[in-house]
Amino acid sequence: MTPLQEITVALAGNPNCGKSSLFNALTGSHQKVGNFSGVTIEKYEGYVDFKGYRIRFVDLPGTYSLTAYSPEELVTRHYLAMEHPDIVVNVLEGPNIERNLLLTTQLMEMEVELLVALNMYDEVEAQGIEIDVKQLQQLLGCHIIPTSAKARQGLDRLLDHIIRVYSGDIEIRKNKLVFRAEIEDAVDAVQAELLHEPALDGRNLRWMALKLLENDREVYQEVHQSPVWVKIERLLQQAIETTGKLYQADPEILITEDRHALIRGAMEECVRIPEARKRSLTDYIDAVVLNRVAGLPIFFGVVWLIFHMTFTLGTPLMDALDLLFASFASAVSPLLSNEMLRSVIVDGVIAGVGGVLVFLPNIILLFIGLSFLEASGYMARAAFVVDKVMHRFGLHGKSFIPMITGFGCSIPAIMATRTLKSPSDRLATIMIIPFMSCGAKLPVYVLLAGAFFPPAVAANVMFGIYMLGVFLGLLTALLLKSTVLEKESEPFVMELPPYRWPTLSSVLFQSRVKAMMYLKKAGTVILLAVLLIWTASNFPKNAAIEKDLAVEKARIEATVADEDARSLELAAVEHRASAAQLEYSIAGRTGKLIEPVIKPLGFDWRIGVALVTGLAAKEVVVSTMGTIYSLGDVQEEDTELKNILKHDPAFDQATALSLMVFVLLYIPCVAAIGVMKKEVGSWRPVLFYSSYALTVAWIFSFITYNAVRFML
Amino acid sequence: MRLSELQVGDKAEVTGLEAEGSVRRRLLDMGLISGTRFKVLRVAPLGDPVEIFFKGMYLSLRKSEAEGVLVSKNGRLGDSLPMGRQLHRRRNQGGVQ
Repeated sequence: MTPLQEITVALAGNPNCGKSSLFNALTGSHQKVGNFSGVTIEKYEGYVDFKGYRIRFVDLPGTYSLTAYSPEELVTRHYLAMEHPDIVVNVLEGPNIERNLLLTTQLMEMEVELLVALNMYDEVEAQGIEIDVKQLQQLLGCHIIPTSAKARQGLDRLLDHIIRVYSGDIEIRKNKLVFRAEIEDAVDAVQAELLHEPALDGRNLRWMALKLLENDREVYQEVHQSPVWVKIERLLQQAIETTGKLYQADPEILITEDRHALIRGAMEECVRIPEARKRSLTDYIDAVVLNRVAGLPIFFGVVWLIFHMTFTLGTPLMDALDLLFASFASAVSPLLSNEMLRSVIVDGVIAGVGGVLVFLPNIILLFIGLSFLEASGYMARAAFVVDKVMHRFGLHGKSFIPMITGFGCSIPAIMATRTLKSPSDRLATIMIIPFMSCGAKLPVYVLLAGAFFPPAVAANVMFGIYMLGVFLGLLTALLLKSTVLEKESEPFVMELPPYRWPTLSSVLFQSRVKAMMYLKKAGTVILLAVLLIWTASNFPKNAAIEKDLAVEKARIEATVADEDARSLELAAVEHRASAAQLEYSIAGRTGKLIEPVIKPLGFDWRIGVALVTGLAAKEVVVSTMGTIYSLGDVQEEDTELKNILKHDPAFDQATALSLMVFVLLYIPCVAAIGVMKKEVGSWRPVLFYSSYALTVAWIFSFITYNAVRFML
Repeated sequence: MRLSELQVGDKAEVTGLEAEGSVRRRLLDMGLISGTRFKVLRVAPLGDPVEIFFKGMYLSLRKSEAEGVLVSKNGRLGDSLPMGRQLHRRRNQGGVQ
């Protein structure tokens, strides 16, 4: 078989235009997901074999325009200008063709091989909208194919046209957008200057000139170092003066107006929208969902539902996975005779892989919920409802859902910040998520509050801890936004898309993508870190302790006759030995090393060890304390550990509260750190965050400890 | 008059933009240019942002952003109704072919 000839096709279109559904319908199962280089914007690629060609599709992020203001728009521009796809298919949302055409005009300006897919054509017909496709083709200078991804209509015709455009078998005259005379003059003059800059050889100079007139940051960056800039700057200034005198507006506005004028003309000539259309479904739903009284309760209801679906449904699955790995470990361990090898494989590798996989159910469930909200159109409304509060803290309405998710687990929450478009909003949200006390910290609170406070007070103490987290998180956002991070957040000028019922396949696809991303990218970091912490708490081995243990065991075997008493005593010496071993290990020494630093917080080295191992996962704090207070593997309800702590002279209410505050605020688990690094793209912000979190934790624990001591 | 001063249910026409930077760009891209007629649909439960409707699009914007949109409230009756849209029949002043 001869290899198929390949055609690369980029899909471009507005958000919510059905582009992703079309991509799914076209490529079926032949898909893969990556990232556009340098940014955390997902890049979907897929292919279909058709009539002897392999047509490769790249699904570009949804954008309304091609300015330099959002990463999505920059990615789209770079891809079109640098990767030179053979054909660009501009997907239009048929029922809202007018506003979708703005992007089309800008694609025409970029002079790409354009083909328009008039998507959701079944809806167009159902709404009685008439579109004169032939006439519109002449105006835009490219072929227009009516399609419907949902009804799988027009797909073959689209593929057929892709091949025809690719092989030059088309009979349509390309059109150029012409702006008003003053703009055209300025474009020509700037373009003529750009011609003198050899570095711009082969670039679309008309487009660059237009962008310079539009005040485009990126093209400016590219050109302002060049010797031709002096002249261009003068030309731009002249253009501003001329248009200001004539129209009381600058070129940027006029260029956009002219684009819209072309679109209006096209609409008048080619599109008939029935008059007096009925209230749409969206109007009816929003009358309730965005109601001044019902809006907030409905919003909280939806958040509650998502949260519960993720964690109520996810926690049993998480436990089941945990159990699965535990039984797998116990099945494997007898097969390995070498003690060292067994420890590495069972406690290190299997436990490590398990530690990565247990988060999967939560991630999948959360993203089923979130992509449903996103695709149905509710996500934008949720942001609309809470934006006022969030904005007060320098955040965006869309920050709310990731933040709330943080109460369950930071990992899916950090991944969910991708709905935020502005990097500064995203970073701020990511950095406050760990302050939302996650589910794994709960066992620590239950243990300590239960041990040192009567049941009625314990609940209030825990509530107070949660509130402290929220308070400090929001304060952190405010602090970050007014200092290190860019103040300007994403504008809230945002479309509330019409409600649509999402397709099951796209919802599932989204959550599968997130799951894979977590496993592939974050999984490796997490696995490494878990192994590292395991090594730290097991090595170096103290031979003397093991020898003593063997001697002790032999003595008990020989002297204690009663079977029950013997196993009890055996267990007791083993616990003592593992406590001694933990003290001897790197983790134990670290605990002792940091003791002077944490002493002012009321912590001794034993708590230090628990805090170190707690980096693997927060619930490990409890089990480490169980070991180190010579108790073995304890559960959170274990009254014995409670009692031990209660009677420990080094432990009182002040220490307990101080420790709860510290666990709430200090560095999150390595899994969260790994995902954080993955999402922000570099270690610097992660290191900044970690030192910030440690400082805040220390200060607030110190205050708590001393305030409580003072009051007691 | 500014968009932020309108009441729910008001219809108006954009007469100019005073917003800067990315907000201005976004407003332009969404089609809030001189001559665009819209209706104020609602205010969020907490009093901000607001939602407007034009050309088949539901758009939300903060009051601070709405301050940058100059409007005139002489909207002709029946034009750009949110619940019953019509074709825009205005001639534009731009010279585009």
